[in-house]
Amino acid sequence: MAAFRTQLGRRQLLKSGLAAAAAPMIIPSSALGLDGAVPPSERIVVGGIGIGRRGEYDLGCFLTQPDVVFAAICDVKKGRRDAVKKMADTKYGNLDCAQYSDFRELLDRKDIDAVLIATGPNWHGTASMYSAKAGKDIYCEKPCTKNISESLILRDTMRRCGTVFQAGTQRRNLPHFAFACELARTGRLGKMKKVFAHPNGMQALMSGWLPAEPLPNAAVDDWDRYLGPAAWRPFHAKTLQDGFNFEKGGGLVGGGVLEWGSHCVDLCQWAVNDCAPPVEYNPPKDGQIVTTYADGVELIFREKDWIPLGSCPVRFEGETGWVEAGDSGKLVLSSPSLLAGRTVENIAGYPATFHVRDFLDCVKTRGRPKGNADAACNAHIACHATNIAIALDRTVKFDNDTNTFVGDVEANRLRSEALREPWRL
Amino acid sequence: MLFAHRFLVAFVAVLLGITSLAAEPLPSEPDLLAVLRSDAPEADKAITCKRLAIKGSPAAVAELAKLLDNERLASWARIALEAIPGPEADAALRNAAGSLSGLRLVGVINSIGVRRDAAALPMLQAKLADSDAEVAAAARHAIGVIGTTEAAVILTKAMATPGGSQDATAQAGVVCAERLLAAGKQAEAVALYDAIRKASVSEQRVAEATRGAILARALDGIPLLIETLRSPSLRLSNMALYAARELQDGPQAGAVDLALATEMAKPPGDAAAADRVVKIIDVLADRNADGGASDAVLQAVVSSATGRAKPIRVAAIAAVGRIGNASALSSLLPSGEDADEDIALVTRKAISSLAGSEVDREIVARLPKADATILPTLVRAIGDRRIAAVAELRPLVHHSSVAVRTATVAALGSVVDLPNLGILIDQVVNPSVAGDVGKKAIMEASIRMPDREACAEKLAVAIDTAPSEAKVTLLDVVGEVGGTRALAAVAAAAKSNDPALQDGSTRLLGKWMTPDAAPVLLELSKSLTDGKFQTRAIRGYIRIARQMALPDAERAELCRNAIKAAKDPADQKTVLEILPRYPSQAALAVAKEAATMPGLEAEANAAAAAIEQKLAKPAG
Repeated sequence: MAAFRTQLGRRQLLKSGLAAAAAPMIIPSSALGLDGAVPPSERIVVGGIGIGRRGEYDLGCFLTQPDVVFAAICDVKKGRRDAVKKMADTKYGNLDCAQYSDFRELLDRKDIDAVLIATGPNWHGTASMYSAKAGKDIYCEKPCTKNISESLILRDTMRRCGTVFQAGTQRRNLPHFAFACELARTGRLGKMKKVFAHPNGMQALMSGWLPAEPLPNAAVDDWDRYLGPAAWRPFHAKTLQDGFNFEKGGGLVGGGVLEWGSHCVDLCQWAVNDCAPPVEYNPPKDGQIVTTYADGVELIFREKDWIPLGSCPVRFEGETGWVEAGDSGKLVLSSPSLLAGRTVENIAGYPATFHVRDFLDCVKTRGRPKGNADAACNAHIACHATNIAIALDRTVKFDNDTNTFVGDVEANRLRSEALREPWRL
Repeated sequence: MLFAHRFLVAFVAVLLGITSLAAEPLPSEPDLLAVLRSDAPEADKAITCKRLAIKGSPAAVAELAKLLDNERLASWARIALEAIPGPEADAALRNAAGSLSGLRLVGVINSIGVRRDAAALPMLQAKLADSDAEVAAAARHAIGVIGTTEAAVILTKAMATPGGSQDATAQAGVVCAERLLAAGKQAEAVALYDAIRKASVSEQRVAEATRGAILARALDGIPLLIETLRSPSLRLSNMALYAARELQDGPQAGAVDLALATEMAKPPGDAAAADRVVKIIDVLADRNADGGASDAVLQAVVSSATGRAKPIRVAAIAAVGRIGNASALSSLLPSGEDADEDIALVTRKAISSLAGSEVDREIVARLPKADATILPTLVRAIGDRRIAAVAELRPLVHHSSVAVRTATVAALGSVVDLPNLGILIDQVVNPSVAGDVGKKAIMEASIRMPDREACAEKLAVAIDTAPSEAKVTLLDVVGEVGGTRALAAVAAAAKSNDPALQDGSTRLLGKWMTPDAAPVLLELSKSLTDGKFQTRAIRGYIRIARQMALPDAERAELCRNAIKAAKDPADQKTVLEILPRYPSQAALAVAKEAATMPGLEAEANAAAAAIEQKLAKPAG
């Protein structure tokens, strides 16, 4: 067992073969005779929808990009609108950042090319659908969907609208995770046997209904728009403040493996070539959940027994080798020969900057970003189906051709959930 | 406010937001319906609706339908009604649509759409003219989602009717056409897509319909693909690029490649067209990145790598790197040392990315015949591709061209193995290139050696015999390698009489990454005669106590030793600040001992008090 450090700088990484292998082709502005300046026609005008704590981090990554102009913020909370406007206006030295409480008004703006959606999970899928139909490209935080049906509709809508969609699965653009997945994908671990994901929770969760409190002024905190597609509840400040968890996964089977799963399962999916999701899902047993792909490879959720490599660990095991990686930026390999003389940069702390850059590059080339809608759809279906197995406490089998559970009416009923009026997908 | 459950019976839990409940079987449908019929709180009825989404049968439909006009519970009721199979739920929703209005009606229509209830089409068609715009919009959407032949007729007719909702109708129409295509009704899908393309609707809708029309036509869609690609509308042109990426499989895949390659080869008339060529090249690279590019496509891209505008050249060279093979080397190599740095860089990257072991063999085979203009590129490629060609590189270390020598030493850093590490050691002792190329190369090589102890041994032997300046460089390298042998080598250098070596080695020991350097540092802090190095040694020792993961007793012992060995009271006080950061009985003992030392009483007593306070605090 050996952990490897690397020597490349971050800027070098972007130029390295590892990053460039599947990266779109961006012509440096120096090639256009601009001495590095970004011409107005090359600028991407971005609007923000629901920018809380995580969104503010994402927005920071956008604002560091020279070709981004952040033009508008929509949030149901005035406090957030004001904070984000201040952030943007300070960056640009003007007062131009527009504020909205209804994202449809922001989407009506023809000058906005792309949106950053960082609402709570309740809104991710619905807001993405409306944005795509308005012709905007989308960077959407994870988890992107609340159920299997929404995952499929998300994928189909992005295709239909020609949308460049990037799920907030930024680990796909970090070199050590990318290298680990590459080892698995390219057969250097031998025939794949197992991929492991850290779920950070294995319980089916559901948002409840807290006692009514006095409704705030909608101009300050718009409760109706906060609820959005979620079934109606009376106002409660705690619910308003907990957008990170509210309706995560929705329905009876939310939460569960979805929080970390939308990262770790996403990486496992990448390791198995972004194939269709597993076909069999078992309920938790002995601290792990075993699911199985059509070719027999197992996707296993486990809470324990990880090498201490930081949060969001994944492990890929083949017949001849294995690799494990986590948010420390480090890799552990079964053999140093797997490096084949290469160096892999150690970037700790799962920054999203590279993922944002990947998205922006694809907005220009119309290429497919790493966290594209197809990949996100598959990873999310794997998480939702696992949660259904948890909630029903039984093994369920999934048919990827029909996107239905085999011979399980109850599981099939949990594939989707009605949205509160007037919202639809 | 999340609560965990399998299925909870105690409804009050909903109000409490309980987070963990014992697994219970789901209540029976009669029990659930009893809740709906009772005067139970709304919260209980809400969660009951969710349970009925799993357990509800047609028998539950009537009770659920009663909630459809309830402002608070309608959305909950529809969760169940959307999920319960059978015509009863469809009928209930249709019936409700006859009596509801406003948002409740919108919700019901949305659910009808989700259930794809074709029997509702006449009602939905009537709602298209509803005075409530939200209702009409919901009806349009539902008709599109239902997606039958009849739905297509309704939407086509609606699109032809003036009224200002054409764009939304077209949006529904695209969905409808998609459904028709999925049902095998290709001609109907194409007709609907084409009708939308010709309608007076937004560019986005036209783009969506055009994509659909291209994909639905498959092979016959290629002319439309190319026509759309040439559109002056960026949105339409972009959509064509998107569709081109989707036409990846099937009999049309090769024809799409050829059509794109032909379009790419045409001279662009303006800047927008040139930009489009760049994007087409990118699409071709994406489509063929698995190595399946036909000779014709590859040749077309290779041709664009020379003699065209710079942005096109840069894109084409990069694309060759992604889809090319050994046959592309001849055309790429001359640009590897291009005077234009952008061209040179993208070329080198492309050569390093070319797939296949044949490329490696070809690169090595070209070395003997290559002149000094090509050699640097070939040598760099050996390094970038990690080709095991040390024997071939070795003579080039002394090539007459500085560029070749420089590239060779750098490449050896990437490929040299342990038995040949001496080549790079020689480059430190007797460099054939100026600057720090040799140092960087040996650093890169040494760090990646699988057996770091053997590597350190080799470097240590070299340090013994190297001239003074080279010793310091090699010492830096062995310090980066780390490990037991490296530590011994650095320690030995620190004990030498050479001030430069003492300087370099104490610097390295001061940032050593493992605690086994502690005894060495402690000894040096006592034995070195130069006060500067002595201070560096004790501070390195203190750093280990402060930063590294150690058992409590060991850390305390290090602190005890440091307080005794440090000559500067400031260093002693620094140690006392470490103790409360890792509170333990052992740390407390050290602090109390220190309190008896002159000049440290106040700080030591403060540290002891802080430790005692932390130790007294219950865990967590």
